[in-house]
Amino acid sequence: MLIDRIFNGNDAVYGLTVQAVDGAIAQHGADKAVGFPHTAYCLPCYYAVTGVKVKTLGEMKEALGVVKTLMTREQQLDDALMSGVATALCAEFIEALKYLDGAEPYSEPCYGHLADSIIREMGVPLVTGDIPGVAVILGSAPTAKEGVDLIKSYQAQGILVTLVGGIIDQAQELGLKMGYNVRIVPLGKEVTSVIHVVSVALRAALIFGNVTPGDAASLLTYTKDRVPAFVNAFKPVDDVILAAGAGAIKLGFPVITNEDENVEEVPGALIGCANVADFNKVSLEARNIKIKITKIDIPVAFASAFEGEIIRRKDMQVEFDGSRVDCAELVQTREMSEVEDHKITVVGPEVDEMEFGSKNSIAYVVEVAGKKMQPDFEPVIERKFHNYINCIEGVYHTGQRDMQRIRIGIEAFNAGFRIKHIGEVLYSQVKNEFDAVVDKCQVTIYTDPAECTRIRHEVAIPVFDKRDERLDSLTDESVDVYYSCILCQAFSPSHVCVVTPERLGLCGAVSWLDAKATNQLDPAGPCQVITKERPIDENLGSYEDVDEAVQKFSQGALEHVTLYSIMQDPMTSCGCFECICGIEPFSNGVVIANREYAGMTPLGMTFPEMASMTGGGVQTPGFMGHGKHFISSKKFMKAEGGIERIVWMPKELKETVAERLNKTAKELYGIDNFTDMVGDESIATDPEALVEFLTEKGHPALSMDPMM
Amino acid sequence: MPFNQKPQKFNAKINDVTIGSGDKTVTFGGDCTFPFYSFDAESENSPKIGVEISDMGLEGVSEGIKAYYEGATTMGEIAQKAAAMEGADFVALILEGGDPNGVNKSIDELIEVVKEVAAAVDCPLVVEGCKNVEKDAELLPKVAEALQGRNALILSEKEENYKAIGAAAGLAYNQIVGAESAVDINLAKQLNVVTTQLGVDAKKIVMNIGSAAAGYGYEYVVSTMDRIKGAALGQNDNMLQMPIITPVSAETWNVKEATASEKDMPEWGPQDERGIDMEVETAAADLAAGSDAVILRHPESVKTISKLIKALA
Amino acid sequence: MALNGIQIFKLTPKKNCKECGCPTCMAFSMKVAQGALKIEQCPHMSEEALASLSEATAPPMKTIKIGTGDGEFSLGGETVLFRHEKTFVSKTRYAVALCTDMSDEEVEAKLAEIPHVDYDRIGERMHVELVYVNCGENADAAKFTALVEKAKGLGRTLILGCTDPEIAKAALEVCKDGKPVLNGANASNYEAMSQVATDAGVVLGVSGKDLDELYDTTAALEKLGNKNLVLDTTGADIKETFANTVQVRRAALKNQDRTFGYPSIVNLVKIAKGDKHLQAALASMFTMKYGSIVVMEQLTYAEALPLFGLRQNVFTDPQKPMKVEPGIYPLNGADENSLVVTTVDFALTYFVVSGELERSGVPLNLVINDAGGLSVLTSWAAGKFSGNSISEYIKENVEPKVKCRRLVIPGKVAVLKGDLEAKLPGWEIIVGPREAVQLVKFLKDLDA
Repeated sequence: MLIDRIFNGNDAVYGLTVQAVDGAIAQHGADKAVGFPHTAYCLPCYYAVTGVKVKTLGEMKEALGVVKTLMTREQQLDDALMSGVATALCAEFIEALKYLDGAEPYSEPCYGHLADSIIREMGVPLVTGDIPGVAVILGSAPTAKEGVDLIKSYQAQGILVTLVGGIIDQAQELGLKMGYNVRIVPLGKEVTSVIHVVSVALRAALIFGNVTPGDAASLLTYTKDRVPAFVNAFKPVDDVILAAGAGAIKLGFPVITNEDENVEEVPGALIGCANVADFNKVSLEARNIKIKITKIDIPVAFASAFEGEIIRRKDMQVEFDGSRVDCAELVQTREMSEVEDHKITVVGPEVDEMEFGSKNSIAYVVEVAGKKMQPDFEPVIERKFHNYINCIEGVYHTGQRDMQRIRIGIEAFNAGFRIKHIGEVLYSQVKNEFDAVVDKCQVTIYTDPAECTRIRHEVAIPVFDKRDERLDSLTDESVDVYYSCILCQAFSPSHVCVVTPERLGLCGAVSWLDAKATNQLDPAGPCQVITKERPIDENLGSYEDVDEAVQKFSQGALEHVTLYSIMQDPMTSCGCFECICGIEPFSNGVVIANREYAGMTPLGMTFPEMASMTGGGVQTPGFMGHGKHFISSKKFMKAEGGIERIVWMPKELKETVAERLNKTAKELYGIDNFTDMVGDESIATDPEALVEFLTEKGHPALSMDPMM
Repeated sequence: MPFNQKPQKFNAKINDVTIGSGDKTVTFGGDCTFPFYSFDAESENSPKIGVEISDMGLEGVSEGIKAYYEGATTMGEIAQKAAAMEGADFVALILEGGDPNGVNKSIDELIEVVKEVAAAVDCPLVVEGCKNVEKDAELLPKVAEALQGRNALILSEKEENYKAIGAAAGLAYNQIVGAESAVDINLAKQLNVVTTQLGVDAKKIVMNIGSAAAGYGYEYVVSTMDRIKGAALGQNDNMLQMPIITPVSAETWNVKEATASEKDMPEWGPQDERGIDMEVETAAADLAAGSDAVILRHPESVKTISKLIKALA
Repeated sequence: MALNGIQIFKLTPKKNCKECGCPTCMAFSMKVAQGALKIEQCPHMSEEALASLSEATAPPMKTIKIGTGDGEFSLGGETVLFRHEKTFVSKTRYAVALCTDMSDEEVEAKLAEIPHVDYDRIGERMHVELVYVNCGENADAAKFTALVEKAKGLGRTLILGCTDPEIAKAALEVCKDGKPVLNGANASNYEAMSQVATDAGVVLGVSGKDLDELYDTTAALEKLGNKNLVLDTTGADIKETFANTVQVRRAALKNQDRTFGYPSIVNLVKIAKGDKHLQAALASMFTMKYGSIVVMEQLTYAEALPLFGLRQNVFTDPQKPMKVEPGIYPLNGADENSLVVTTVDFALTYFVVSGELERSGVPLNLVINDAGGLSVLTSWAAGKFSGNSISEYIKENVEPKVKCRRLVIPGKVAVLKGDLEAKLPGWEIIVGPREAVQLVKFLKDLDA
């Protein structure tokens, strides 16, 4: 049915074209030159698709033969779409004939054919995203007002709008200012003039995409991936318009229409939308166009300069305090259909309804949706809230999860700052900073105390618990890939961190989830995927893939790295490490020193001395830098027997890690209160006294296999 | 027993990138050894020297430079004298007057200067922006447009504005793209990666990996260049094989050693001499570390560095 | 192949006797592996262990000491070809040349000029450290000795350029206590020269017409038992000199060819041929690439300022950034009423920031406290550039001296504003720009 209509439309246009070309040849002869002004691409669409330049009427006649071969008539969608392309090429011929003998067939306000120079100029903002999309509006809107509103909605988003047909009259009727400089380009009133925007897309592929003319596959890939165009076709949509639309769809441009008779939807390509007011939203979603938010709509300033501002009690209008009343901040991943972009809802009283100087509840839930969004990114986004809210002038934020505290200053309040503006800030910052994964975002802010209690206890806390569980259950074995981190290479050129779930970066700041999110958000950035498909020795944690990655990212300085050994090819250290462990041969174990510890260790070396041997991206068997968190990991020097080898730590460090370390020791070896067996500076700073202490305590390391 | 020479052979080379059009062209890069290691392999091409002129004319330049340009009053005349300098391979026009924190000339005004210079000389051209990322994002695409057909090097895109400048220079107007990063091998590489992802041909990119005057954090410049050359040749990393251009003079003529007057620092001696030596010594260090082209101002510096390059080639 | 600390440790007596000066055998082994100590410093090593270790742990390039007292310098001892691989350890030293062929006036002028350059840069004294005294072809022992005597008066460590053993011997009589270098051994005189140098207890400089001859002569000297050498890699022209200098260093470090494992002397007087700017360029080049001693015709402030700056940069340890001394640095004629600006003590940050501040022309007091020599964000993250550290320093050192109570902090640590306001009552805390280049405009706007 749909396919037949497209075939019909195509046949009709083809017939007209043959007639027109024959007529022109009869009048001017086959050698008559034909072409558009100010383009080096002859008939640009035909040239782009076939690689053949058409310069005379005779050649055009031949080209029509080629077009005919595209018009296959199997009842397949692709045949229909190719007929769409054929229709477009015919339209180009018809338009080209209008320009015979240097004629100027278009006049104000219509542009008709666009010169190459405009494409070069326009291509740059298209590539940079300054022009986020190209709308092709075709036909007459139900009312002139609806049509113009639609145009203006695109214009406000920076989208380039091209107009074909009755919409041009409607825009003129309402006195809309049009022209290339305001990004509204009326092409022409006949449907064939739509080819002039197709011509722009195809020439962009040749100029900006380096596509070889005639390489139709690359051409279509380019327009689909790189030219963010879409079509809005008003009813009535006849067979000819449908055939032209099929051409657009073949190029990757979805068609959105309010026509509801005799058309069937093609998901993602031909989309019905009854209400013209929704065209904008539906079109952007269909073409996956994201509008950059350049200005946050709040009555006070937003800048990192305000990050350190503290609102004192006397300067405070109201505060929200998670330590006293129920509060929460939460990001939740939703389906695309469940999120209405930029919807901001406040449930409960606004600031002006709160008592001056009072303590209140607040809970904000940021719901996000996106094709690449993963629940693992939720905490990464959430952790940024502190920074976002603090950057608001006159607003102060500390804490996280359900323990946050927010103060709104008197001045900010007087300037008009309200709860909903927190929503605006969260919305725009999340959309801007996480645009690689977040397509849609809505914010709900609860200030109603009962609702806050509900959100905190029934929604947020279960989510936090689940997340913690997931973090605990994430093991090196349970994931398919690790990540590299080379943030520190500026200081330590050959150093590469391999970040795994059980071994975070040695600076202590980059977890596997952080690395994963960094990689998704910045695919060419410092965190790259490392596969682990080719293990060499699972006990040592050595993999061919890891070695290759380390070699590549260290520019060849490192060849092999093991993940779980400090003796054999240990991971390198940059210099940012929180701790260093080093082999203590007399007790057959390792000593750990943290950066804050200034004293002597039983190794006969201080932290700085150990650091000078370990840092700089060199491998020093027997010594390794690592994060504090890693001390209680089951993977800590697993190849040498694991945490049982730890014989000494500074007291303060020991106390910091005791709980988790003892838990791991209990789990792995059934040892209770393992840290009681571990020496510290109050017990010994030389190996002899240490061994004496360890013997007394029966430390397991003493009876383990020799480390070297 | 004679000395056992072990030449270091690489199976990779630095891209050769040509700027300029017609019979006036100059090529950067092309070598397959560390800089001037002609004992490892014959050099294909030696480093090149550009003479920097500013849209601000001769305002604030040192005595020696002023003397050289004596008689030149228009930008066109200045450009002609620059092109005629002994040892010069190309002219580099810096549009420093565009800086919004400085004179803040309009883009139209600057484009007029670019056109005037382009019309006055037919030698290869490099145009440097004003260093402000927002202004350059608007200015340099216009420069690229104005210089269509000249195959000029546009210095430079940065991480913050690579799309606008890279697309205009590298795609729309077929110029050579200068990719500038802040003395860090990974940032340099990342910028090359994203620029090629835009569709810019890797063989049409020249890097400015960041520069410093000798004594001003120069260790980062050395190590970044050493590592880039090491990775480009030793690892055959094609995202680091772009030749390197270093705008030396823009750094060296702004440091105290070159700007302090003899009146203020009598024991330091003549100001012009200090400026030349700062420029010459920094440029020599850049070349030793791996720059394939340097941009200089003083005629004496250009002559000296040209002599050095010839002696080592 | 160098041994690592663990491998060395296995060969030690494991007694922790502390006689080597280290608390444990492990610490000692790690330091030997680093090249900081020599294996012979352990008094309890067995003969076999020593024999197997000393070869393996001997550095690929010897460290040669010249001069005495303040004029004592270590040359060589490098382990890497590129500074990012580890660090360069022995700075290039610059010598200014005198020659018996010079007229008395020329000599006097040089003698007056040499001490002129003498200044401090980030805690390091910058001056002409060495004087090269060359014996021209027609000079006799008396003439050369007289010139050496004069040069000696400058109090700098000397290098004697002399190929005649007898003349050298005579000259050394008057200066050997200062541990000069005798540069003059070659294929035809090395035995005699080695004897003269050894007798005087000084380092011998070796040269050859090409690398093969240099190699053979060095090997022959080693055979005579003289390993207290430096290699004069100066060739016929610039190209040859560069090739020699690079190849000698590379052979030693990359190919472990110990015969070339000595520091180098590069004599620019011979290859720059009087072109002073070319000489400056070459001095820079050989500072970058492997000149241990660089001999120059002149070293005035014009050449020295960039050259010493470059050297300071190139020879910093990549892991230990240069630090500026804490203090109040008044800029643009600031007085006690001028604005206070603070940043970290990382030298690069300091230079960039102070440069921009100077460019602004606004009188202000730049306050630097100890931030561990790290950049703003790094030191902030490490807790070394914090509300506490800044406020304490300001209270102790700035408040007694400066009356102004407005403090500009780097934009990257805007987060400190509230904390500082609390800890520094009476101060107005102003958040500055994130990048130094924005300072000029920021200060202009602040004034307005």
